[in-house]
Amino acid sequence: MAVEAGARRHPSWLEGLDRSAPVWALAAAALLLLILLPLGWLAYMSVSGERGFTFGHYARVFTDPRLQAALGNTLVLAFWSGIAAVAVGAPMAWLTARTDLPGARGIKSLVMASFVTPPFLGAFAWVMLAGPNAGYLNRLYRSLTGAEDPIVNIFTMTGLIFVVTLYTFPYVYIMIANTLGLIASDLEEAAAILGANRLYVALTVTLPMVLPAILGGFILAVLQALALFGSPAILALPAGFHTITTQVWSLFQYPPKVEMAAAFSVPLLLSTALLLLAQKKLLGRRGYASVGGKGAQRRIIALGPWRYPALLACLAVLGAAVFLPYGILAKAAFSRAWAQPLTWDNFTLGNWSFTFLYSSTQSAIVNTLELGVLTACVGAGLAALLAYVTTRQLVVGHQVLAFLTLAPVVIPGIVLAVALFIAYTRPPFLLYGTLWILFIAYLTKEMPVGYSQSDATFRGIHPELEEAGRILGAGRLRVLREITAPLAKSGIIATWCFVFIGVIRELSASIILFTPNTKVMSVVIFDLKEEGQFGAIAVLGLFMLVMTFGVVVLMQSLLGRDVMGGRASGAPG
Amino acid sequence: MPGVTITGLHKSYGDVGAVVGLDLRVEPGELVALLGPSGCGKTTTLRLVAGFLKPEAGEIRVGDRCLSSPAVVIPPERRRMAMIFQSYALWPHMTVEQNVAYGLRLRKASKADRERRVRDILQAVRLPGYGSRYPGELSGGQQQRVAVARALVVEPEILLLDEPLSNLDASLREEMRFEIRRLHEQFHITTLYVTHDQSEAMVISDRVAVLQHGRVAQIGRAEELFERPRTRFVAEFIGRTNLIDAVADGPSTVACGTVRLRVAATDLVPGAPVALSIRPHQIALRPGRAGGAATADNVLGGEVVRASFLGDSVDYQIRVAGSGTVLRVAGPTPPRARAGDAVSLLIPAAACLPLPDSVTP
Repeated sequence: MAVEAGARRHPSWLEGLDRSAPVWALAAAALLLLILLPLGWLAYMSVSGERGFTFGHYARVFTDPRLQAALGNTLVLAFWSGIAAVAVGAPMAWLTARTDLPGARGIKSLVMASFVTPPFLGAFAWVMLAGPNAGYLNRLYRSLTGAEDPIVNIFTMTGLIFVVTLYTFPYVYIMIANTLGLIASDLEEAAAILGANRLYVALTVTLPMVLPAILGGFILAVLQALALFGSPAILALPAGFHTITTQVWSLFQYPPKVEMAAAFSVPLLLSTALLLLAQKKLLGRRGYASVGGKGAQRRIIALGPWRYPALLACLAVLGAAVFLPYGILAKAAFSRAWAQPLTWDNFTLGNWSFTFLYSSTQSAIVNTLELGVLTACVGAGLAALLAYVTTRQLVVGHQVLAFLTLAPVVIPGIVLAVALFIAYTRPPFLLYGTLWILFIAYLTKEMPVGYSQSDATFRGIHPELEEAGRILGAGRLRVLREITAPLAKSGIIATWCFVFIGVIRELSASIILFTPNTKVMSVVIFDLKEEGQFGAIAVLGLFMLVMTFGVVVLMQSLLGRDVMGGRASGAPG
Repeated sequence: MPGVTITGLHKSYGDVGAVVGLDLRVEPGELVALLGPSGCGKTTTLRLVAGFLKPEAGEIRVGDRCLSSPAVVIPPERRRMAMIFQSYALWPHMTVEQNVAYGLRLRKASKADRERRVRDILQAVRLPGYGSRYPGELSGGQQQRVAVARALVVEPEILLLDEPLSNLDASLREEMRFEIRRLHEQFHITTLYVTHDQSEAMVISDRVAVLQHGRVAQIGRAEELFERPRTRFVAEFIGRTNLIDAVADGPSTVACGTVRLRVAATDLVPGAPVALSIRPHQIALRPGRAGGAATADNVLGGEVVRASFLGDSVDYQIRVAGSGTVLRVAGPTPPRARAGDAVSLLIPAAACLPLPDSVTP
């Protein structure tokens, strides 16, 4: 056993030192570098002119009519997408959570499918479905009616709002479904027993309780729409209008106007930050938003004659979000000409060989997978360390650390890319042109998601389990390795999966930061569109979807629960 | 075997002082219970001793080693202590054997030595043959025993227990009290035991330290605390008692309304407010009015407000004539008076304890 301490009465400071301290300090420093450096440069660049400090860029941003128009378009897009997402997501959430809707579980899975579908892929699919000339639905309409004009045109603001809504309504859905799941029916029954009829109960009890969730969901949907780059780039640019994100991107086209892009990014950053703050305030009053408790009895409302019409409405939404887009992608992947009917003559595997053998797509796939695996490994590791430091309160200022880790939630991908571009095209970090700048972008962007996941994992591990190891003689690092890590394993793997899925679909930061040698799948899809290679786009898109669903299934089986539910507050863009 | 000496210990959370100048000495081989209501600082004290927290002032010494001071806190892993947690904190991914052997592996015990000691300690906690089970496969009481085995097997200098029985049901809790006391008598490890349950503290410990507002209000053997509480708080916390606010009117008498009582003191200052503690079982109850004969006892007349039959005793509430005071009296069965009956109460002067600090801070 231990040696007797001898005559020394007072130990030196070294003996009291926690030997794990450098690890925590390092993780904290990495985080600071990751977040503060680029944002600092962004702010600096937006106010630096040729003769020092200036507000000139901001002045131009707010006076240039083209930029003003982009601002206006973004507001229109974000607002109406938010409204539409609530209009679609809220009833569906209520139907699946509280009524005897047939196939509610299936509906829920399909909503999740639309949740993990990269929005830009959906936008592509809808170009093929509802383009004014070759769009599948328009040709169907013409052949049925003999009309000359298309019935729908996706290259409009309405079309853009429609497509954006299809992939943002799941955020509203998840938020409201979770809240409805927490409200016990007895609260409603308590009102009913006092003599309130069903409508009155819904208006006076249920609605006020889910109202914060509805508003929170609306804000989240608005945030998504604000930060989105892919859908507007695919649908708004051909229609001849810009949003903030596409405008920032075009400011980066030759000759790049970095200062302008920076000045244009800052208002976007501030507005997302404000919106998120408002959302947290709304949902933070949890006692109000989620009365009751888990496992509370919930009464199922019989829809009666409305069962099947309600189901049909849900299927219509999911048809637009999942079935039609996936179908057209599958068709295009196996066709010589995607717009022609899928006959034996039109069938080909050429798109597949083209995609996987053509050197530029091939290297993009390799880059994407490399970046996906690397970011997921480093991201899951760093997120786990940071979550551990903050949940166990190991360093002074751990609250600040937690705040910083979650801060990238408010940074739209394109803004992050501008900031990183500025920060890493100059000494001491010359990373532009390498995969590393993409790695840093993805790592930063995925940090909030990874952190929230890890945070939940460590909160689930009782600190006494670690203290029991400490007091028996194991140092903190040893306890971390032998006790905490095995217990946190499945949670950390889930974090890995979340980060991986996030990385392989990333477009809005990649589109600014790629160089010809460092293209990734999403960027190649974007390029192929310029060349009209819809077959190859479809193949790459399906490949991306298969990987995503594969990882989701892996994750669900590992954790044995519905893992997507908690992700509704993920990063925008 | 070293003892533990705590001097002037301070620890606060924000503005709230959890431990405020706590002094405590645990003799080598002694088991001291830290007893107090929630928020009295007992768990904070234990975690300070374990090294999970850093004190703002004061010192914790084991033998002549200073383990904690505001300048230096030796981390828990270098304190040669063991701890048993409220949640048991058994590692769910390790078998019982691996859980128990963990501390031995850290002490670089040989494999054969480890196996022998694990076997012996599982025998001692009466869980032989459970080594290959996982904690999730054990009952609460068995998990508790594994936690005890894991702590004892390393032969710690100091053993710390943080409300270890609070998650067990009542009958098991009673059994484990005796079990822990038995193990203490077998191993004689210097032990600090945190609990909020006074009978648990009384059964298990050599001495009980009653904590209030982050300090030790009184420390002593259970009988001492019960018979000679020094403060109103201790009198109320250890056992049931009647507390009466009175005013001294002589060196050994107090007045409570029109009632005068002789008390167990000779140095009261007339006019000073006094809190009297009278244990319910020390009051004798007689049916009928008080007799006139003067005795050494205080004799009071009263009326039964309520008499509750409790099985092994009867709990009376008596309104004392001449004052509004209602006294609790514990009498033998069968009941000798019913509600509304006039009774007389005999209270020996020795049972009336005046407590110096009559007002609880």
